[in-house]
Amino acid sequence: MKKFTLIAAAMMMMSAFAAAQVTSGGTLAVTATVNGTINLVFNSATGGVPLGNSGTNAASLAFGTVQAFGGTLATGVTRTVGTGNFTVSSPFNVNVAKANLTSANYTLKANLTTADTTNTWQVGGVTVASGAPATITGTGAFDSDNLFTLALTIPFSATGTSISNTINFTAQAN
Amino acid sequence: MAAVMVLLSSAAVWAQNPTASGVINGTLVNKDGITLLFNSDPQSVTLGGAGTSAASLDFGSISAFGPLAAGVTRPTVTATNYTVRSLFDIQVIQGGLTSTTYTLQAQLAAAAPTGLSYRVDAITLGTASQTLQTTATYGVDIQHSLDLVILKAAPGAGGPATGTPLTTTINFTATAN
Repeated sequence: MKKFTLIAAAMMMMSAFAAAQVTSGGTLAVTATVNGTINLVFNSATGGVPLGNSGTNAASLAFGTVQAFGGTLATGVTRTVGTGNFTVSSPFNVNVAKANLTSANYTLKANLTTADTTNTWQVGGVTVASGAPATITGTGAFDSDNLFTLALTIPFSATGTSISNTINFTAQAN
Repeated sequence: MAAVMVLLSSAAVWAQNPTASGVINGTLVNKDGITLLFNSDPQSVTLGGAGTSAASLDFGSISAFGPLAAGVTRPTVTATNYTVRSLFDIQVIQGGLTSTTYTLQAQLAAAAPTGLSYRVDAITLGTASQTLQTTATYGVDIQHSLDLVILKAAPGAGGPATGTPLTTTINFTATAN
């Protein structure tokens, strides 16, 4: 009887060893510092000239061949003829997204990269030149397309040369 | 008579070179086991304490649109959140076991900070243990992805605190199969 008891106890111990799980642990401390940011992109506007690289912050808008009278304008280009000049225009969207900011809106400014003493550039009715950026809006809404019109006024005196410039836009969270 | 002579001779030798002897009864217990180590993954954030079981991974400054630290990627930016990612390796070494694979589980040591969630290998972690792998191989670095998902909401509106380091500890457990 004593021998049987010992054998049973041994079997129970073996069973306990077999059931024990072999484990190992480790800890990984993960650290990050979150910063609020905003991001500006240009989007094509309905009825306007389709932008090149729409959805990015480096887009292009091609008016194509323009003239004061007659001819055919590119899709999305609107023309108005004034006294001694004509204006071609197209709507486009500016979309400024925000993340992790309490700011409710933004200020949008723009200026020309290269001075243009012949033609007049306007964004949202605001004349944009080289030098100090002009304020286009002081209350731009985040995370939505904000429609602006780019207008280029060309004097009749201008000769048939290519017109090209880059407009720098800057959005700043208020 | 011969025997007596031998004993006397030995006594004379001891007197000149005193010695002592003892016995140490050493017992060796061959204990089987496994150990888990974190290693840095190439092209990803360099771990603090790499090669140990208590490592750290610092994403540095993160944002939805701004630049990120070396080794950190931003795979997604949605309307409501964005994700930053780094890879890291886990190696589990075993000795004395017949086991050929292990199960890897992970959990957060405490609730995640507001606006943040943590994913390892696309599995969102909480304070309850989650199984990441069930048949992982011993003795090799196994790559894992660590995603930090950040709500884009402003601080105080469901988004995370900004401008201050946020640290969370992830506990990993490897169990021999």
